[in-house]
Amino acid sequence: MSADTLIPEEPEAPTNRPPSMERVRSWLQRPYARKILILTVVIGFLLLPLAWLLLAAMNQTGAPASEIMKDIEQTVFVFTLVSIPITAFVFAVLVYSLIGWRQISGDEPPMQDSPAIRTNTIGVILWTVASSLLAMFLVVWGLVELAQITANSYGSISADEQPGQKSSEIINVTGQQWVWTFEYPEHNGLTSDILYLPLDRPVYFNVTSKDVIHNFWAVELGVKIDANPGAITQTGVTANKLGTFNVRCAELCGMHHAFMQTQIQVLEQDAFDSWVRESGGKKTS
Amino acid sequence: MSVDTAVETKTVFGAEVPQPPQHGAAGGVMRGLNFGTGLIGGIGLAAVAGWVTAILTPSSASNASFAPMEPTYVYLAVLLGWVVGFMLGMGAFVGPLRWVVGRDITHADAEYMAGKDLGRKRYWKYTTDHKVVGIQYLVVTLFILGFAGLLAMLIRTELGMTWTSLFTPSFYNSMIGTHGIAMIIGMIVVISGPLGNFIVPMMIGARDMAYPRLNALSVWLLVAAVPMLVSSMFMGGIQDGWSVYQPLASQAPVGMLGYQMTIIIFAISTAIASVNLMTTILTMRAKGMTWSRTPIFVYGIFAASVMGLYAFPFFQYAQILGLTDRVFSTSFFDPLNGGSVWLYENLFWLLGHPEVYVILIPSMAVALELMPVFLRKPLFSFNFAVAGIVGVVALSGLVWAHHMYMTGWAPAANYPFMLSTEMISIPVGFLVLVAIGTFWRGTAWTRLPLMAVYAVIFNKMIGGVTGVYLSDVPADQYFHGSMFVVAHFHFMLMGAGLFGAMAGIAFFFPKMTGRILDERVGSIGLWTAFIGFQITFISMFVAGLQGQPRRVLDFDDQFNLSNWISTIGAYIIGIGMLIFLSAIITSWRSGVIASSNPWGSKSLEWQTETPVPLENFPVLPVVTERPYNYGVPDPYEAELESIDEDLTEKAGTK
Repeated sequence: MSADTLIPEEPEAPTNRPPSMERVRSWLQRPYARKILILTVVIGFLLLPLAWLLLAAMNQTGAPASEIMKDIEQTVFVFTLVSIPITAFVFAVLVYSLIGWRQISGDEPPMQDSPAIRTNTIGVILWTVASSLLAMFLVVWGLVELAQITANSYGSISADEQPGQKSSEIINVTGQQWVWTFEYPEHNGLTSDILYLPLDRPVYFNVTSKDVIHNFWAVELGVKIDANPGAITQTGVTANKLGTFNVRCAELCGMHHAFMQTQIQVLEQDAFDSWVRESGGKKTS
Repeated sequence: MSVDTAVETKTVFGAEVPQPPQHGAAGGVMRGLNFGTGLIGGIGLAAVAGWVTAILTPSSASNASFAPMEPTYVYLAVLLGWVVGFMLGMGAFVGPLRWVVGRDITHADAEYMAGKDLGRKRYWKYTTDHKVVGIQYLVVTLFILGFAGLLAMLIRTELGMTWTSLFTPSFYNSMIGTHGIAMIIGMIVVISGPLGNFIVPMMIGARDMAYPRLNALSVWLLVAAVPMLVSSMFMGGIQDGWSVYQPLASQAPVGMLGYQMTIIIFAISTAIASVNLMTTILTMRAKGMTWSRTPIFVYGIFAASVMGLYAFPFFQYAQILGLTDRVFSTSFFDPLNGGSVWLYENLFWLLGHPEVYVILIPSMAVALELMPVFLRKPLFSFNFAVAGIVGVVALSGLVWAHHMYMTGWAPAANYPFMLSTEMISIPVGFLVLVAIGTFWRGTAWTRLPLMAVYAVIFNKMIGGVTGVYLSDVPADQYFHGSMFVVAHFHFMLMGAGLFGAMAGIAFFFPKMTGRILDERVGSIGLWTAFIGFQITFISMFVAGLQGQPRRVLDFDDQFNLSNWISTIGAYIIGIGMLIFLSAIITSWRSGVIASSNPWGSKSLEWQTETPVPLENFPVLPVVTERPYNYGVPDPYEAELESIDEDLTEKAGTK
């Protein structure tokens, strides 16, 4: 006798639960369900322009002027789009709770209780899955973009292998209270207090500070790194847009922190060369 | 002389109960001590310590950069003298001193210290009753927040008046730093202090906190810290932001000592309060109050205590090291002498980020606590709320370096820190889900506390979404150190934190003061502040997007418009907060007398009488059911079941 025959066959589970589609349909027929969904969509569409408005505000002074800044803006754009649905849903429930479901005012506690919903397995699972997927998406997007930006700012190149070939430019950035100094070691140690950059050529920044922590922020280029006393931090960028942009200090550095800003001039190669020739060797202290 | 060997007895419920022997007589100097003697002791010892130090310090003493050291030594001595003298004058050391001389606090003394039959005088004394401590915390916190709010108004005034400069740059920087640290201290305390001390023991059905004397110690240490912080403004100020990064902080005038001493004392106060709350919650819950029957607010306070307990020591060490750098010319953080600025940043943010959750979790917890009462339905998915809080606590210590993405400290570490930071949105999302689920189909009793919760959830969403940008390294490369960050954390700490505290104070006001918070005036204040808040910080987001760095006194013309709007909004907040404050003060003095349970809550703290008697409950309660047992059977569920039956019948007839 085989063991199988000893075990009586399991009776099939009773199938008195209606098909899932039927349950979804009956849920949708509740008076509030569709209204909240519609409200979510409406609020979502109202929030949608934000994705462009944020970029418009960021682009006021000529950004993006580099591939890095373009990556940053793309990230902001995508994150805005991704967070709109969940924000819209939460706002929809808040709004509907104020205008849709019943309300009571007055001094005495309401006599009637609301339905005792202790939990809702489907809702909880849906929320957890959705928020986990969203977080996963954000993380993956962020990691990929970070790798991309690191490559674009040449952060993956170690310090002793900083390329010295002609096509690149090395600039030593020094912060001190409350000025920036840019030194061009490949051009006879030429120094400037305005950051001149050649168009479409990679630039490497070695950033340091003489006194306290500053933060070298080339706004429209999307470059930002701390200038630390006693350490050199490295970053880089390839400016791909002609024009005048801003360097600001983004780390409180004392009394005149607000005024620790200067200009970036992105020049054509010819203009850059002639600027180097004109001021070559001459040092501005 | 014969020794009286008869044991004293006391009649309790008609039975003779032997009383434990008392060591030493009751009374003594202790009974004469109060806030006044504390002030006298503090100021007196401060003056003496300062005077002696001034005499002892050789006038030639100077540091490496030839700055005279005398002011540093004298100011430090004054601060130390103030703390010791004030606590001595308050009577904080009565217990330990009696142990030293072989006596103990007698039963009569313990009752006296608990404020029995002292009337209003007990609020000015080293009182151990948790309800008195709660009220003391509330008043101190309101003072700190008001002071910091006043500085906020001045800061916005300076930024709004783009055509001129009101303040000198150093005074402006000092206002920014003091505003920041005062707000952080106030916000850390504003829920855990007043509500944690006043409400939590009642909520768990206990007679008092586990360590009543430590409870008094924690609040009076906080009181002692306030003048130190304020005094630093007159000693050159904290000119380095609330984070006082090194080595900038070592350049600052002696006022920096005020900051460092404030933090050292405040960290002690926080540690004591955290241990006290945790022990109380762990060991003193009423019979039958299992973890699944413990209200969510208790979880929130417990979580905040856990985070405070492990996070604050980092901050305290950082300030102690900074203090020795300044006073004894050590070089922990001096890069020119082998110190590390990155070490300071790490120590600072190891506090800095958990501290955000120390503020946010109690505020979310108080919102979740009061929602079931006003919606008359159970908290949605209690287990998820607990999971959310646990998740936040677990991740809170693993995310600090997202404040340091742009320091160049460890570029490779940006990847894991981005991962952990974005993961924390999942447990925070649980808390939002619980709030949404509790709103779901609830009949809202639209009283002030519930309306404040709407504001909290709204602000929390905006703060949370903008936080996602900042958690992402590429986007942070633009936003770091800009006004965008300022707007984001104000949405979190003020929008969610402070509005949550307003909800909590309005909700527990009847229990704490015996009167109802004026609904009309309070609501006007709340919504004025809310509208002003949106105006201020949404335009601050715009300024940040445009590229305005934070902590600046002056800026390019392109930022003028957003700053003007932001300043107008700030004044509206100020007006709203003043209205809310006036509602608190007038209602406290002459509001409508509240019944013992005006909200019809089922929670334990509302079941005692108001005003709450000493030791809260005549007989300790026994808990027999889960919290938030409101609600009626769900009609839709019944309907669904009937559909089930219909379909089953149809299937059967086929």
